Amino acid sequence: MTRILAILTVLALVTGACAGTPPSTTGGGASPAPSAAAKPTYGGTVTFVLENDVIDFDPLKSRAFVDRNIHYQIYDSLVRIDETGKIVPWLATKWDTSTDGKTVTFTLRDDVTYHDGTKFDADSVKWNIERYIKTAGSQRAGELASVDTVEVVSPTTVKFNLKAPFSPLVANLVDRAGMMVSRKAFEAVGNPDDFTRKAFKAGSGPFMLTEAIKDDHMTLEKNASWWGKDKDGNKLPYLDKITVKPFTNSDTRFTNLRTGDAQVANKIAGKDVPTARSESSLAYQERAALSFRSLIPNRAAGFVFSEKRYVKAVSMAIDRAQLLDKGYFNLGAVGYGTIAPSHFAFDASFKPFEKADPEGAKKLVQEVAAGPLKFELLVSSGDPATLTIATLIKDQLQKADIVADIQQLEFAKILELQSAHTFKGLTFVGWSGRIDPDGNTYDHIYTKRPFNDSSYSNADVDKLLDEQRATADQEKRKTALRKAEQIYVVDDPARIWLGFGAAQLLTSKKVNAPPIYPDQIVRFQFMSMAAR
Amino acid sequence: MTQYILRRLLLMIPVAFLVTILVFTLIRLSPGDPLVIYAGEERDPAALEALRREYGLDRSMPEQYVLWITHALQGDLGRSLRTRQPVLDAIVERLPATLELGITALVLSITVALIVGTLSAVRRNSPLDLLATGFTLAGVSLPNFFLGLLLILVLSLAIRLFPPGGYTALREDVWDNVRHLILPAITLATASMAVNMRQVRSSLLDTFGQDYMRTARAKGLSETLIVVRHALKNALIPVVTIVGLQVGAIIEGAIITEQIYSWPGIGKLAVDSINGRDYPVVQAIVLVSALSFMASTLVVDVLYAWLDPRISYSGHRS
Repeated sequence: MTRILAILTVLALVTGACAGTPPSTTGGGASPAPSAAAKPTYGGTVTFVLENDVIDFDPLKSRAFVDRNIHYQIYDSLVRIDETGKIVPWLATKWDTSTDGKTVTFTLRDDVTYHDGTKFDADSVKWNIERYIKTAGSQRAGELASVDTVEVVSPTTVKFNLKAPFSPLVANLVDRAGMMVSRKAFEAVGNPDDFTRKAFKAGSGPFMLTEAIKDDHMTLEKNASWWGKDKDGNKLPYLDKITVKPFTNSDTRFTNLRTGDAQVANKIAGKDVPTARSESSLAYQERAALSFRSLIPNRAAGFVFSEKRYVKAVSMAIDRAQLLDKGYFNLGAVGYGTIAPSHFAFDASFKPFEKADPEGAKKLVQEVAAGPLKFELLVSSGDPATLTIATLIKDQLQKADIVADIQQLEFAKILELQSAHTFKGLTFVGWSGRIDPDGNTYDHIYTKRPFNDSSYSNADVDKLLDEQRATADQEKRKTALRKAEQIYVVDDPARIWLGFGAAQLLTSKKVNAPPIYPDQIVRFQFMSMAAR
Repeated sequence: MTQYILRRLLLMIPVAFLVTILVFTLIRLSPGDPLVIYAGEERDPAALEALRREYGLDRSMPEQYVLWITHALQGDLGRSLRTRQPVLDAIVERLPATLELGITALVLSITVALIVGTLSAVRRNSPLDLLATGFTLAGVSLPNFFLGLLLILVLSLAIRLFPPGGYTALREDVWDNVRHLILPAITLATASMAVNMRQVRSSLLDTFGQDYMRTARAKGLSETLIVVRHALKNALIPVVTIVGLQVGAIIEGAIITEQIYSWPGIGKLAVDSINGRDYPVVQAIVLVSALSFMASTLVVDVLYAWLDPRISYSGHRS
C-alpha cells in the first residue's frame, strides 16, 4: 500500500523537479527545462519579500489574497494544482464522486503528521471542515455551502455528503477551504481570535511557521518530516529556512532583489520588468494568471448603464491592447471575460472585441436615441496607476463621442457605493482568480450574489451557471460556461473585462527557481540553493 | 512650579476626553463601512452580519462610545477590527521601532541644526552660510518619499553601503539594527533639520543684536564664550518650541518614511487602520498621539523656565 502511495506521490510531484536552468519568460505554461543529473543542494536560507503583511494565518478568517502566499507553505490541502492548473492529489490520494453527484469520497494519505506531532487522519478532516462551516464569521462557509455532513468511514477514508451536486467542490478544497489545521495546536492557543496571529506549527506543510512579528517579518522553517518527494524520490523541501519580509513599496522590494538582500519576489511593478529581465543576477518568469481586470457598470434600474447597449458600446470602443501596453506595462494578457487561459473552459478563439471599434460604438449609442452617452468613471484617490488607465480609457471613449467623467474618491467611499449599488457609472474591480472557472464567475454574475456589484440579472445566464455546477462532466460544463460567457460578455454584458493579470516570479540566480504557477503563489518546496 | 506642572497634568484629562469624543465621532461619520472593507475578497453576508453584531457595530454611537471609554479607562483599548489583535498589543509592538527612528532622527536633526545653524549665524554670508541656506531650501522642498527612494538608489543599490529598507530589532543584533536605521533616520531628519537650522540661525542673529551682547563684547570676553554662554541659551527659546512640537509628532510616526523603508512602526498601522476604518486602532493611536503632544508641550514650557529666569509660573515675580 505504501509503495502505491509512494508511486502516486512521485507521479503527482513529477512536475516539481528542481529546476536547474533559468526558466522561459513569456506566454502561458512557462516551465523551466528539467534539471540535469545534478543532485539538489539541501540547506540554505532565502529571504522572500512580500507585497504586504499576512493578516490571518487562520484559513478560516483569511480574506486577503496575500495570506495565501504563506498558507501554501505551512498548510497542506486535501488537493492542490500542478503548474498547468490541473487538480492533483495532495493529502487525498484519490477521490470519487457518486453518480448522483451528492457524495464525494476521499482516500487520504496515512503518512502525514502535523508539525506538532499529531497524526493527520479522517477525524482531522471532519473537524476542520466542520469548523470552517459552523464557526460564526467563517470566511470559508460560502465555499463549503454545498456540504451537508462529513462522515468518517475509516482513518483514511472520509465522505462528503452534499445538499446538491456541486462540481466546483474539489476545486474549492485546493485552497483555504481544504487546508488542514492541527486541532491540538488550535485548541492550545485558547482564544480563537488569537490563533490567527499565533498559528505556530499548526499545519502539516513543507514549512513550519515559527515566528510572526506584524509588519516586520515571518520565519518559516523546514518541516523535516514532510511527506513530499521530488521526482527522483529525494525528500522535500530542500531549503532550511525562509524569512518573509513585507515591503509595501514596490521600488524597495525590487531593489532588495537587485542588491541580493532578498532572493525571491512574486510581484514587481510593470515598469521594472525590463530591468528585471536584463539583470544578470536575476531570473524572471511571467505567465497569464487566473486573475482578471474589469470595469463594473451599475446596471440597476434608474442608472445610465441599465441600458445594455451602452455597456456594449463602451466595451466596443475600448482598445484593450493599448491599455495592456501603456496602462499595464504589458503585464498580463488581453481578455474579454471571466474564464482565464489556464481554465479548462477557456476558448482562445473567443475574441469578441479584438479591435477597438469606436464607429460601431457610436452607431450603437445613436440606436438608443437618448442623446450622447456620459457617465462617471470612479478611481480610487490613492491609486495613480489606475488613474493613468482611466485617462487612457477616457481618451479612447472620446473617439466614439462617449464622455467618461473621471471622479477620484477615497477607496472606502467607492467600496461603499459599490456595495450599496448606488455608484453612477463605471468603477474598476479586479479579482485575484480561482482555480475553477466557477470561482471566477458565479458569485460575480449570478443574480444577487455577493460580488455582483453591477446588479446584473439574466435568467438564461443564471440557468446555465446552475447547470454547469450540477454536472461533473467537464465537456458539458465547458459548453454551458461558453454559452453563458457569450451572453454576459457580448449579448447582455454584465461587465467590461479588460484582460487577465500576470503571475510573476523573480528570483536571484543564487537559487534554483521553481516553476511558475497561474495562481501566483511560490512553490518553495521545490526551491533549492544553486550549486556553487 | 510644582503647582504649575500639576495643574497642567490635570488639564490633560479633560482635553484627552474631548479628543476621544472628537475622533470617535469623526471616523464614524466618514463614509465607508469597516466590515465591507474587512471583507476584502470574501463577501459572505451572513459572516459579515455575525461579525457586525460581535463587534457591537450595530449599536448606536453613544452606546458604542460609552462601552469603549469604560473599557479604555480600565486599560482595555479593545481589539482591532481587522486583525482581532488587542489594540494595546498592536501599538506596544510597534512603539520601540517608531521611538527608535523618531528619537534618532530628532537627535540628528537638533545636533546638526545647532552646529551648522550657529556656525552659519556667526559666519554670516560666508560660503558655509550660503551652503547651509541652500541645503535648508532643498531639505524643506524635497518630498520625503523622493528623498528616501533617492537615498536607497544611491547608497543601497549603486554603492552597497546600507541595506535597502527593512529592520532588525535592537535586542537581536545592535550593529544590524544601526545599519538599517541610518537611511530612514537621515530621510526623516532632513526636513526638520532644515527648519531647525534656519530657526537657530535667525534666533541667534536676533540675539547678537541685543544690548547685553554689546556689553559682553565690550568686556573683552572671547567670541566662543559669548556665543555659547550668552547668546545661545537665549536664542534657543523659539527653537525649543519648534522642537517640542516635533517631539510630540514622533508617536504619530514617520508614515511615509516607514512605508518606503518597511520600518515596522506605528505609521503603517495608522495608515492601514484609517484606510480600513479600523475604529478602535485609530482611536487609540490618536489618543496616544494627543497625550504625547500634551506631554511634550508641558516639557517645553518647563524648559522655558530653565532657559529664561525671567519666566516664572509660580504666580509671583522672581
